Amino acid sequence: MRYLISDAPRTMLTICYWAFVLYLLLPLTLMMAMSFKDANFIAFPVGDWTFAWYVKVMQDQQFLSACVYSILIAAATTIAATVIGVWIAMLIASTEGRWGALIFALACLPAVVPGMISAISLRIFISTIDMPTGSAAIVLGHTVHAVPFVVVMALTRLRSMPVNLVDAARDLGADSIVAFFRVTLPYLGPAIFGGMLFCVLLSIDDFVRTFFLGGYRPTLPMLIFAKVQGGMSPEINAMATLVLITTAAVGLYAEYMTRRSRSR
Amino acid sequence: MATDTITQRVANRDLAIPRYSTRISRIVNARPYRSTIGAAVATHRGRMILLAAPPLVWLIALHIGPIYQMLKISLLSSYPLQHGQAATFTLDNYAVFFSESLYFSPLIRSFIYATAATATTLVVVYPVAYYVAKIVKPSSRSKALLLLLLPFWAGELIRTFAIIMLLANRGAANVFLRDLGIIDRPIPMLYTPFSLGFGLVYLVSLYMLLPLYSAIDKIPNHLLDAAADLGAGPFTRFRRIILPLSRDGIVSGCCLVFLTTIGVFATPMLIGGPTTVLFPETISGFFHGASDRWPVGAAFALIMLVTALTTAGIFMRLVGGKSTKLM
Amino acid sequence: MSRPIDRRTTLQLLGAGALAAPYIVRPKPAWAQSKTLNITTYDKFLPQEFVDQFQKDTGIQVNIRLTDDQGKQYNLLAAEGANPSTDMVTVAGHRYSQFIASDLLQPVDTGKIPNWKNLNPAYQDAPWARVNDNLWGLPILAGYEGLAVNTQYVKDPQSWEVMFDPQYKGLTSYIVSDFMTITMQYLGHDGDFVTYTDKPEMAQKATNEARDFLIKHKDMVRKYYDAGSEVQQMFINEDIHLAHSWSGPAAKLIADGHPIKLSVPKEGTFGFVYTLNIVNNAPNAENAYKFIDAILASPEVGASMTRQSGFASTMAGVADVLTEVERAATTLPQDQVERIVFFSSVNRDMKNEMIDKATAEVKAA
Repeated sequence: MRYLISDAPRTMLTICYWAFVLYLLLPLTLMMAMSFKDANFIAFPVGDWTFAWYVKVMQDQQFLSACVYSILIAAATTIAATVIGVWIAMLIASTEGRWGALIFALACLPAVVPGMISAISLRIFISTIDMPTGSAAIVLGHTVHAVPFVVVMALTRLRSMPVNLVDAARDLGADSIVAFFRVTLPYLGPAIFGGMLFCVLLSIDDFVRTFFLGGYRPTLPMLIFAKVQGGMSPEINAMATLVLITTAAVGLYAEYMTRRSRSR
Repeated sequence: MATDTITQRVANRDLAIPRYSTRISRIVNARPYRSTIGAAVATHRGRMILLAAPPLVWLIALHIGPIYQMLKISLLSSYPLQHGQAATFTLDNYAVFFSESLYFSPLIRSFIYATAATATTLVVVYPVAYYVAKIVKPSSRSKALLLLLLPFWAGELIRTFAIIMLLANRGAANVFLRDLGIIDRPIPMLYTPFSLGFGLVYLVSLYMLLPLYSAIDKIPNHLLDAAADLGAGPFTRFRRIILPLSRDGIVSGCCLVFLTTIGVFATPMLIGGPTTVLFPETISGFFHGASDRWPVGAAFALIMLVTALTTAGIFMRLVGGKSTKLM
Repeated sequence: MSRPIDRRTTLQLLGAGALAAPYIVRPKPAWAQSKTLNITTYDKFLPQEFVDQFQKDTGIQVNIRLTDDQGKQYNLLAAEGANPSTDMVTVAGHRYSQFIASDLLQPVDTGKIPNWKNLNPAYQDAPWARVNDNLWGLPILAGYEGLAVNTQYVKDPQSWEVMFDPQYKGLTSYIVSDFMTITMQYLGHDGDFVTYTDKPEMAQKATNEARDFLIKHKDMVRKYYDAGSEVQQMFINEDIHLAHSWSGPAAKLIADGHPIKLSVPKEGTFGFVYTLNIVNNAPNAENAYKFIDAILASPEVGASMTRQSGFASTMAGVADVLTEVERAATTLPQDQVERIVFFSSVNRDMKNEMIDKATAEVKAA
């Protein structure tokens, strides 16, 4: 009897989780199914199935190069935004009162500015500091956009960090830098991981800033937006499906590797 | 002179240098480290400079810099300049907002949608985050998270079209209902407040999930076990332990979701209806319309920026409780 | 409503003889020797084989940046100011005068383009294209704002009135700003503001009338859309049965076999032309001239643009390259062609300001 009662919430939560997974994946499954549609525009139901779009996408040099370019930019953005974001979070966490709140508001600014406005102001800004458009400018623009997300994630965890942890490390003779890398950073782990995920997603998804700050090499969203302009073709779905499958495979592989290295 | 003091300080430090058992000692005790970073963090002032200087430089240059450009534009009478035009300083662009109720309702609507989306996302995602953090076995936890993260790799545009495919008159939901014989003519679901809400939650739920997961994950299990042993039921445990201890996650998640939904632009335009025009769309009208009026658009964006951040700030102060001290 | 006759530059002029192109001789700038060319255009407008061939023939490296939207192009150029990062842009008709007024384009010297004669004569020196005594770009595609209907549900409408027919409640869609001008025509006003010179009160009254009419019939609308891909998807998903649509997106659906019909109702409509333009202060303007000349030499490029966009080509010989279906989708009966009036470049500031304001009001209502 007692087990039944204590199990009820557990069952409820399990149902919640799977219902949410269904909510997330159902529309996406539709989109993936559309990539097999033998027509020039997507529509439900699929009707005639074909692999032709995948053949076309796999041979599309522009698509492959856009993917690689997007990944490189996302990687650079993630590294830069994580370092800066955590640094800002450390500053906020150790600044009390109004100044802390002010710095926090400042740090959040770029998250609220609509893309187009942020893109225009960044474009004007980089010309005032004489920075050329191109990869570096894109990374800068993406990093500015991603930093608030890292700050919020890191702060969430920093705020609840027991102060005595760092104090203990200092008492044991660690200097501040060492204490940060040995104590604070590991404690922030999951939050930083979440923040990095946000960075990658924001960067890979960004279109407007890239268009304004970039050169002539398209990123993945630039390519997809340009293609949508000519009509919503299953080709776009095939591209998205390939990206999804690849990220899922990479994710599962990384998970497998970390588990294996841990169990060793 | 100066070099002397540094050498002296480094020399003094040698006595105090702790012994690290790992590779770190090699870095920390190396001369380049000791004479630079090591020396800098040796004093309180040095530590503060190292902590504060880079973030402040970044914030001032890259967070304020571009916004300052917008502020300047918002105070001009016209920009981009047409042939032979000259711009003068004016506050009229802000007056446009306050003098016409026309632009007020989209802003209010934006706040209502953002608030509703935030609340819905919190309620929907909280149990999911709790399930992943506390109920799933640690070994399969990453897999459970991966499954939830998967859709977000598809990009905003694709996810929006996915919702269109689901809710359109000839979309999956309507076809399914018709095949079951429940309806005989399609229910218009797309381009309504419902589809907009559905889509917003779909787009931003990740911003709620990760902060909540990170917050719930760190609640010590033994606290929950102890409470259970003392006879606290699931509801009491939730109210007295889980909820207070995950408050930071709730505050962060709500802030991220609120600030993102308030500025989101493409999705509402694609899946919203004629009655759901939001403020970012109004703003973009000034940048996309035929008579590009950047200054008015910039002024409106700044108005939105200030109101949204103030709202988020008030919310954090109210709900954040003790953590406001840190802020 | 009477209009000056010289403005009636309709597609009926297609057969008219070529006007003598003006020869404006300008000194060659010092940077003419550069070996690159940067172009901002739409996906698949420039076939890869053509670009490859051009690079091989001239040794000029062509970089293409894809765009999806006119507003972004304009904003980007405006933000870049005197140092543009692109040499050529693709501008849609309704933005043409805006780009020119903001000093973002440079005049085209047709004397430097031997193949200019390959342009359909009606577009070689069209009145709408001539602004401040100059031509400002290469016309590439011609389109119009049409009435698109799903033929399974709507039978051959003759008037824009069908957009306000209660039987199609919640089944229509339009781009607010564009349909506002059509509504002005429908209500008997001048939707292109050409006759409103020095009569802003009259223009405002006409605009307000159209605005109030659209607000009154707001329940007819399923969605206000912005992009061609949206109206295509709404037709395919049967979310709407009729819409105001640019000819291109609807023609693409027709060419793909969807039950869509595109027509010009009796009240008439507006036509516009996409142009490929050289940017003001473009670093590689001379190369751009070579590129324009090469485009005009090859009907395949025009055909590719038509296939991708659904708009009719302005270049001679393109129709022969298109398939029967593609040609049919982009062609109108002669009586309907005569109802199309090209957007003028007169009174643009007045028109844009009033229409944009009214658009915001319709959306907010």
